[in-house]
Amino acid sequence: MTGIEAAVRDALAHVKDPEIPVCTITQLGLVERVDVGDDAVDVTLLPTFVGCPALDEIRIDAERAVAEVAAGRRVTVRFSLEVPWTTDRITEDGREALRTFGIAPPLLQITYPCPNCGSRDTTVEAPFGPTPCRTIRYCNACRNPFEGFKPKKEY
Amino acid sequence: MSSDARLGLLLAIADDELVIGHRLSEWTGWVPYVEEDLAMSSIAQDEIGHARALYEIAATINGGTPDDLALGRAMADYTHAVICERPNRDYAYTAARHYLYDTADAVRLEALTSSTFKELAELVRVLRIEERYHLDHARTWFRRLASGPVEARQRFSDALADALPEAMTIFEPLPDEDALIADGTLPKPGEEMLAAWLDVVGHDLEEVGLERVMEADAEAPVGEVLPTSSGASEVADESPRPLRVPGLERRDGRWVHTAGFSGAGGRSGHHSEDFAPLWEEMTALHRAHPGARW
Repeated sequence: MTGIEAAVRDALAHVKDPEIPVCTITQLGLVERVDVGDDAVDVTLLPTFVGCPALDEIRIDAERAVAEVAAGRRVTVRFSLEVPWTTDRITEDGREALRTFGIAPPLLQITYPCPNCGSRDTTVEAPFGPTPCRTIRYCNACRNPFEGFKPKKEY
Repeated sequence: MSSDARLGLLLAIADDELVIGHRLSEWTGWVPYVEEDLAMSSIAQDEIGHARALYEIAATINGGTPDDLALGRAMADYTHAVICERPNRDYAYTAARHYLYDTADAVRLEALTSSTFKELAELVRVLRIEERYHLDHARTWFRRLASGPVEARQRFSDALADALPEAMTIFEPLPDEDALIADGTLPKPGEEMLAAWLDVVGHDLEEVGLERVMEADAEAPVGEVLPTSSGASEVADESPRPLRVPGLERRDGRWVHTAGFSGAGGRSGHHSEDFAPLWEEMTALHRAHPGARW
């Protein structure tokens, strides 16, 4: 990895998801590819959900962050669908960050441990939540509603 | 392959998603309880996002912008199926159309995963993962309303019977279908996808004892579509032909489509009287402030 590429990856690792401000796009597994050329830097990101309204903001934030370390190179950030994004791409520290934010990390099971009290006595309240990637859940133990990251997997 | 045929396919699917997404978004703030309000709003947002992704590919073919394609076309240039533009009416109709549309969309998307049109096949692979949530939601309501109580079951099955003939026109062949089939852009003809979808719907209805929905219109052609008042002027030299939605018959344990699609429907830009007010509202901002950004 060249010095510039490392700097670009580091810059991307500081770009937050505006709807989940504790997580960076790197932790969420959005960064698919970084290509550094002599006069251009091309970054390929994957959208979590195709209809996510935060995509434009993420792209602009990423372009701005990369431009600062690109040493005068032209910067292009684009979203690609060449590989489907799945929740398996969220890193371990990304999952931990979600938990501290009160969003249960994605699991392929009905009951998610409550991010507040840890109880497994929880249910799905509604499969659709405030953003395309979240669902509403309820903890029967501490009697708090909480959000869970929607599992996304190919089938 | 003429790129026009591919553009036509992209716009037909994108228009379906945009227009049904617009209708679903009308439920925002009006559903009797908040979880379902979130569901309707979220599905609407997904469908409009899917439309955007399709318009983005289309824009690379015709050189325009996705916004111009989505909101800057004349009414008669939209090629969505008429079922998408119908008003929401009540929750029975909304749920019936949601079920019929999303099961049809699933058949269409599955076929398109093997399209030779690489950008479309890639997008479809992602869309299918997301549409699974819509299907689960639609099937949950299907089972809940079909299992009663009596009024719910009655109103839901009436709504299904009303919506079914128009939902079949999701598979009305595109004007360029032969060219799309020839080069593998469209891996299956509309009639073949329709047959696969009728199997799914017929099976689901029989499971809940509502097969009368399929029988209701087996004899007489129903679902005549009125031309739009303003759309007709867009196609001045063509007198608007009513869309005849043909019957269904049960043969060898399967529901089959017997009559072909005569006349022209949504895929040729002929819409119902319900499209004009929707188009006016949906495109109002774009027309009043061309190029507006926010």
